[in-house]
Amino acid sequence: MSESDPEYGHLVPLLREFASLTDGDPRRDALRDEIVTGFLPVAAHIARRFAHRGEPLEDLVQVATVGLIHAVDRFEPDRGSDFFSFAVPTISGEVRRHFRDLGWSMRVPRRLKDMHVAINTAVSELAQQLGRAPRPSEIAQRLDLPVAEVLEGLEAAEAYRSSSLDEMLSSEQGSATVGELVGAADAELDRVEFRQVLQPLLDELPPRERTILMLRFFGNLTQTQIGEQVGVSQMHVSRLLGQTLERMRKQIEL
Amino acid sequence: MSASPDRASHESIVEIRTEAGPAMIPTIRAVAADLAGRADFDLDAISDLRMAVDETCATLVSIAAPGSTLTCRFTVVPDMIEVEAAVTMASGQGTDAVATDTFGWRVLQTLADNVGVLELPGTDSAATQVGIRLVKRAVTDQR
Repeated sequence: MSESDPEYGHLVPLLREFASLTDGDPRRDALRDEIVTGFLPVAAHIARRFAHRGEPLEDLVQVATVGLIHAVDRFEPDRGSDFFSFAVPTISGEVRRHFRDLGWSMRVPRRLKDMHVAINTAVSELAQQLGRAPRPSEIAQRLDLPVAEVLEGLEAAEAYRSSSLDEMLSSEQGSATVGELVGAADAELDRVEFRQVLQPLLDELPPRERTILMLRFFGNLTQTQIGEQVGVSQMHVSRLLGQTLERMRKQIEL
Repeated sequence: MSASPDRASHESIVEIRTEAGPAMIPTIRAVAADLAGRADFDLDAISDLRMAVDETCATLVSIAAPGSTLTCRFTVVPDMIEVEAAVTMASGQGTDAVATDTFGWRVLQTLADNVGVLELPGTDSAATQVGIRLVKRAVTDQR
């Protein structure tokens, strides 16, 4: 990027000026704001590259902006390098770290995270082949791992946050079918006398959670079948169901 | 793997006793999931059992006498786990304390292959125990 760059060129002298200011200089804050605001489209662009991995885009843009601020603060124009070639890896690094660190609700060793990915893949392949959820022994055989390690990996999967890299809901896929199934489930709900208690709770649920709950408890689908319908993994269905039940239980108690 | 005529030798029992409060429910459901995983249940069945145990314990805790004990007993046999959970009822609770016309019961019926209310003789004459028994098979039914 040079000063002739139509979109960002005007920021180049500002970067140089910013780097030359001492820490206590009163002009620093305003200048920093201007530079960061000017480069925001870059952060948003990088954030979008990481979208569809289960994290809300707004969160990613925020994280990318933090990366951008770091890049602005640390950039040394004297070193002769271009701002983009410094900022892009810095921003991407920040977003990657977000996935790596915040994706897990507790510290899980790297080895188990890798295994989580391998297990997830094996589970969906085996579910397709078998037409049902696989057993741990079947996953172990597929991955050529001891069953004990697969069990350990499955346990670690429980620590993974509800929205994860590879479990993003594919928005459009199969939505018509889901609609039909939910319709059938709704009819089933009519026969339940406690409809009046349940309906307000169901109405408060996010659409996806509601769909999954209805399919499981009124449509009598298995988690694996629901995963196929809704376009998420069985493990994700499991987590969403658990969370939803807990949430509803709390509301009933209130 | 060969079938053994001696079924009892394949049976293992795990019993957990804890205060009848919500604090230990995550531990109990983790034990349930762990037992199911080691018994090679399919992943749907493991998850169903975990949620069923969660629901069972939450239901019982809500009607338990203050300071009483929640007992949860898992009997693992090949391809099946039986869960019996029980508490001492709070005074004023009738024998119908475990409501079976609720969404919670619907959840249990869906998650477990078999579920029922247990009425147990109390350990001392004044207190009545109430419990829930459920059975989960290792392979999820395709309906």
